[in-house]
Amino acid sequence: MDQSGRTPRIGVYICHCGLNIAATLDVEELRRFAETLPNVVVARDIQFTCSDAGQNTIKSDVAEHKLDAVVVAACSPRLHEPTFRRTITEAGLNQYMLEMANIREQCSWVHMDSPALATQKAKDLIAMAVAKAALLRPLETESVPVSRDVLVIGGGVAGISAALDLANAGLRVYLVERRPTIGGYMALLTDVFPTNDCSICVLAPKMAEVYANPMIKLMTYSEILAIEGTVGHFRVTGVTKPRYVDPSLCKGCINECSGACPVEVPNEYDFGLGKRKAIYMAIPQSVPLVACIDTNACIGCGLCAEACPADAVKYDQQAEEFKLDVGAIIVATGWQPFDASRKEEYGFGRYRDVVTTLQIERMLNAAGPTRGDIVRPSTGEIAKSIAFIQCVGSRDQTVGNPYCSRICCMSSLKNAQLIKERYPDADVAIHYIDIRAGGEGYEEFYIRAQRLGIRFIRGRVSSVEEGEDGLYVHYEDTLLGKTLMKRYDLVVLSTGLEANRDAEVVGSLLGLSRRPDRFFEIAHPKMRPVEAHIDGVFIAGCASGPKEIQVSIAQGSAAASKAMQLLFKGEIELDPTVAFVDREKCIGCKLCVDTCPSRAISVKDTAFVDEARCKGCGTCAAACPVDAIEMRLFSDEQILAQIRAATAVKGEYPFIVGFLCNWCSYAGADLAGTSRIQYPTNIRIIRVMCAGRVDPSFVLEALRRGADGVLIAGCRIGECHYVSGNLHALQRVEVLKGLLREIGIDPRRLKIAWCAASEGDILARKIEEFVDELKDLGPVGTELVAALPSGKD
Amino acid sequence: MDDAAFTDEVIRLAGDEIRTCIQCGTCSSSCSTAHLMDNSIRRLIRLVLEGRRDEALSSDSIWLCTSCLLCTVRCPRGIRPKAVVSALRQIYEREGLRNRDEAFERIFMDQIRNKGRISEVLLSAAYALRNPDATVPIMEMGIELITKGKVSLDPGTVKGMDEVRRIFEGLEND
Repeated sequence: MDQSGRTPRIGVYICHCGLNIAATLDVEELRRFAETLPNVVVARDIQFTCSDAGQNTIKSDVAEHKLDAVVVAACSPRLHEPTFRRTITEAGLNQYMLEMANIREQCSWVHMDSPALATQKAKDLIAMAVAKAALLRPLETESVPVSRDVLVIGGGVAGISAALDLANAGLRVYLVERRPTIGGYMALLTDVFPTNDCSICVLAPKMAEVYANPMIKLMTYSEILAIEGTVGHFRVTGVTKPRYVDPSLCKGCINECSGACPVEVPNEYDFGLGKRKAIYMAIPQSVPLVACIDTNACIGCGLCAEACPADAVKYDQQAEEFKLDVGAIIVATGWQPFDASRKEEYGFGRYRDVVTTLQIERMLNAAGPTRGDIVRPSTGEIAKSIAFIQCVGSRDQTVGNPYCSRICCMSSLKNAQLIKERYPDADVAIHYIDIRAGGEGYEEFYIRAQRLGIRFIRGRVSSVEEGEDGLYVHYEDTLLGKTLMKRYDLVVLSTGLEANRDAEVVGSLLGLSRRPDRFFEIAHPKMRPVEAHIDGVFIAGCASGPKEIQVSIAQGSAAASKAMQLLFKGEIELDPTVAFVDREKCIGCKLCVDTCPSRAISVKDTAFVDEARCKGCGTCAAACPVDAIEMRLFSDEQILAQIRAATAVKGEYPFIVGFLCNWCSYAGADLAGTSRIQYPTNIRIIRVMCAGRVDPSFVLEALRRGADGVLIAGCRIGECHYVSGNLHALQRVEVLKGLLREIGIDPRRLKIAWCAASEGDILARKIEEFVDELKDLGPVGTELVAALPSGKD
Repeated sequence: MDDAAFTDEVIRLAGDEIRTCIQCGTCSSSCSTAHLMDNSIRRLIRLVLEGRRDEALSSDSIWLCTSCLLCTVRCPRGIRPKAVVSALRQIYEREGLRNRDEAFERIFMDQIRNKGRISEVLLSAAYALRNPDATVPIMEMGIELITKGKVSLDPGTVKGMDEVRRIFEGLEND
């Protein structure tokens, strides 16, 4: 009965799909069967239901028979559910009043040799769909207004790219950068591969554009303190640290104030090679072009304030808190260099002539500490022989970084070329394990380096020792098979990229997950490269792993475009197929909070589901110990009705009820169909959004009603569409098996399997195996009879 | 034992990280005896992975390893090259391919059994008697060492010979 207490009126449409279905299944028999089902007021078999004629038949039936719900028994809902939802919407029904019975991919195509059993299975599938359809409720898609502003965290090249694209599309952007200038690491590099453009020459115009764009509010020397709310309305609190220089007065002349400053400290923007004053400008092209006082170094002498011609130095400047309301957040927090002193055998920090990639970048930079000369820091003389050591802190499990940092081969190839061009007589060698030059123009770049006379030595350096006349590098030339030692003036450690530790705060404020390599995890490692698991949050650049400048720029633009899609209309539609809480039943145990992969549930006294965040996997509903959480679609009562309908006749032995996750296993079952992989007819499949949705009560109901076995199938571990739903399913199955054992049911009657959408053959084989296993076990309950005292005789 | 079974056995004994070797040469360039070896440690691992059993087992390198473990500490893939050497030694001995310094080992073990420690002088002397051609060069060095007090003729007996005996009994019962 529907809400009004009236029994629902259901129409059933059985598709021939030409001969795709009709050649195996007796469609007329199915139609006659459907007519006998409760609540069905009209049933038809149609040549092609998805054709205009087929759809028009449904539409006129809805009007003529006053249908409340429609069941289409045809192909997979993954194919035509959107089509038929549109059809019934056009006929005046709510789009969610549709249920499909998958009698093609999961019946006629996979049981071509057993038409009678397949027809019986199709009857069950139709009965299950009708049972569910009787319990469907209209669901309204709600639109909520959103803030069209976007927060970009991190002002490196990825963040700059994102901010400019958003602003140019007319969205307001807040660009927050923790350092006094934007530009990130790119602003500090010398020329960049594969074109050997001057890095700052191509970046500085972009930085200036950010500063000039009225749609971008640039907040440098600022940090994020708190983020609340969800997609559409993130409430962000942050703080701008005092520079002790008034940005509106500072003219950026810097020589006056820093010339007067008596304090010198190592310059972090030269990675310790050069020095700067306590009042400083990070780089000559800083944006904004405003000085900054380093309070750790400043002695408060007041000389800079006296020297400043614009009276811009303000010692009483205070930190300023700011609050933002944004619809989306782009995380472009970048990377940090591997600390080379952790590889003690290379002597960085002990031997002055051992330097890192970033230091050689600064040396090569005409604006750097050596004005472009490649010198031995110990003597200040020009280095005549230089070794690059690759994979320092990358591809190295001893330091916990098994991954390749992806850019170091190319950056060493580039730096070696720059040195060789400046000093043609220099002996330049690259000690490498593998040269990775995959990218447009990269292999050609490698060839260019070889032609310039740079030596390539295959073998990882085991140690560097300082002798009286230079550095001795120990290695095996693995291509010659000889262990060797060679003297160099200068050794450059090609240090890898690590996840930025400073970004961990932002990560935990947003609830981002991190991969084992500690970089932020994206929603899908291949298909969703800039989306986070959290709606409305996007990740660009090296925050999600090492990448080159051009890829970071592309990701910045991609993230901007994703944010635009989300916010452009100024409102977002909330998917109504979410979870909700019965507050009367909820006991506030918080089990659901930890279960939810989208962090959509919070608990005060009782649980509350943030519908904007919920993705409808249903794992919480299955986890709730008091059944206080329910799903608006795929509800407990709908699934239980499907189970009861499936087991009503039980026309086969062994009889299996299967719960397949929509994204992988159900799609895998569809693939078995399109590939015509044949398997036994014994299974009745119920589609759920996630394996984590399967409530223990579903399994027990199926077994109680006479199913000989229950199969739960989900995405392969690590590939769950909802991150961890399959893990929850696995955990629940383990517990449930123990419970079955206790009540005397053989736990082997419950099987859990992992199957990707591409693994139709694997799913078919699992079903085959399960059928055989269940034959060995005998009908459900055999074990209970055997355990009875009389059964022993 | 066929080639694949040889690879599998070494991997079982020394860890399946071996399969992840990238032949970078960190192990061999860290090795203090690499210059004496016919096959570097890196190459030894290659021979194992390619199932080149005879070449691997007949290599001098497996007897030149000093177990300093620098290779194991530095390997970027977490492989234990020293464990590979130990595995090869174990297979070699089990297969009855006796070490050519078997005589040396016997003298060595006899001294440990009797005194709990070895005397370099007596060990060298006993070994020299079996290999007279090697005697002259080591005698010169021996005299030099004795005159400088670097070695003594009678090293004495360790405390706890009972325990030494028990260890030997335990080993022999294995």
